[in-house]
Amino acid sequence: MSIISVKHLKKSFGENQVLKDISTEIAEREVVCVIGPSGSGKSTFLRCLNRLEEITSGEVILNGHNVTDHKIDINRVRQEVGMVFQQFNLFPHKTVLQNVNLAPIKLKGVAKEEADKRALELLEKVGLKEKANNYPGELSGGQQQRVAIARALAMEPKIMLFDEPTSALDPEMVGEVLNVMKKLAQEGMTMIVVTHEMGFAREVADRVIFMDGGYIVEENKPKELFDAPQNERTKSFLSKVL
Amino acid sequence: MEAAMNAMPYLLEGLKMTLYIFVIAIFFGFIIGLVVAMLRLAPIKPLQWIAKVYVDIIRGTPLLVQIFFIYFGLNSLSFISLDNVTAGILTVSVNAGAYLSENIRAGIQSINKGQTEASRSLGFSGTQTMRYIILPQALRRMLPTFTNQAIITLKDTSLLSVIGIADLTQRGEVQASATFESFAIWTTVGIMYFIIIYLLTIISNYLEKRMVIR
Ligand SMILES: Nc1ncnc2c1ncn2[C@@H]1O[C@H](COP(=O)(O)OP(=O)(O)OP(=O)(O)O)[C@@H](O)[C@H]1O
Ligand SMILES: [Mg+2]
Repeated sequence: MSIISVKHLKKSFGENQVLKDISTEIAEREVVCVIGPSGSGKSTFLRCLNRLEEITSGEVILNGHNVTDHKIDINRVRQEVGMVFQQFNLFPHKTVLQNVNLAPIKLKGVAKEEADKRALELLEKVGLKEKANNYPGELSGGQQQRVAIARALAMEPKIMLFDEPTSALDPEMVGEVLNVMKKLAQEGMTMIVVTHEMGFAREVADRVIFMDGGYIVEENKPKELFDAPQNERTKSFLSKVL
Repeated sequence: MEAAMNAMPYLLEGLKMTLYIFVIAIFFGFIIGLVVAMLRLAPIKPLQWIAKVYVDIIRGTPLLVQIFFIYFGLNSLSFISLDNVTAGILTVSVNAGAYLSENIRAGIQSINKGQTEASRSLGFSGTQTMRYIILPQALRRMLPTFTNQAIITLKDTSLLSVIGIADLTQRGEVQASATFESFAIWTTVGIMYFIIIYLLTIISNYLEKRMVIR
């Protein structure tokens, strides 16, 4: 039983068709890494899943909700899907703690004390409990991204989407973020990760999807995809990045 | 010097009226500005259009004409009757609201799109995102422009003397012609305005330091 089901997803920006025909199923607790050249539509694919981008046609079923149906309350559905961005996008006017507990307090009506307690637990988990009262601007990139992960987790999502979470980081900070993600994967979170970190994909992913030109060109277990790619375009891409 | 001292209690009454009108007008001006900025950014064309026409009309006509229009023009309609202070406050509020709405709109638009995306991805609605995430940042960012507008609005209230409101300027005129001490009286009036505006600047600087986003 898949927790995400994508059928014939198409997405255009005006004349420019970015996603041409995407179909895939993602199982609960599965970790899927999405790789592919710049402009191939990886971010757009991810953003269609929680309808940050309007879907042009096709169907996305997410944890039983039909995301394409305009009658559903998309805000409720999004509560079940955490998202982490390349640029962190922490709320600069809120402390680290407030970044994490804002959504549970306002959206789930969790009492402040309870939300604080839970937020501190999450911050501990990402190794930033002592920064709870700092502002995002006082943290390094790697620390900010770990807070962003904690912020998303605070809503207790069923699924986590990551769009190049380490691409904006200095190299020495990549590891700390990947470690948090690895831990999350081991705990059984369903994760879709757009990434250029092939090492991470190989080690953590259950499946790797290679996208190019708006299509899923090839998908397979990481070992198979990396060591014995079938498609010419996959081979050529991998030869450039590995 | 003596003329100024003698006129002081009378002028201070005028200053009170000026501040009274200013505080109410800038408050409503801010509310109007906020609402109009929201209309301007609403995804509904007719609302955007109404907001734009309002801003264009206010920006495209002199404040003095707006004062005459509301006090004499509107009052000439049988079903409207505004006393001069109400008309004055109304005009200045509506005027400041138009300019502030443009500042607020620019402030909102200057906030990175990633903020909205992060907020929406957590499950906040568009309205909640505006309230908890975008506006608090935009308002901080626009504090200097807001101060600027407040200072302009304070000065603008001096035009209300033309419809007989006994504000600082009007009382200055009365004193100057009664005492023939124009130099002393207008110097005093000028200093009073200056002090108030200087205080506004100090308050604003203080707030700016306190609200800075680290
Ligand atoms: N909001 C938008 N409006 C118009 N075109 C867009 C928009 N967002 C993306 N595109 C276009 O869609 C195409 C795919 O973009 P997308 O960001 O999904 O690629 P990507 O695979 O994530 O690339 P990268 O690795 O550089 O992040 C690009 O050609 C881009 O110009
Ligand atoms: Mg991308």
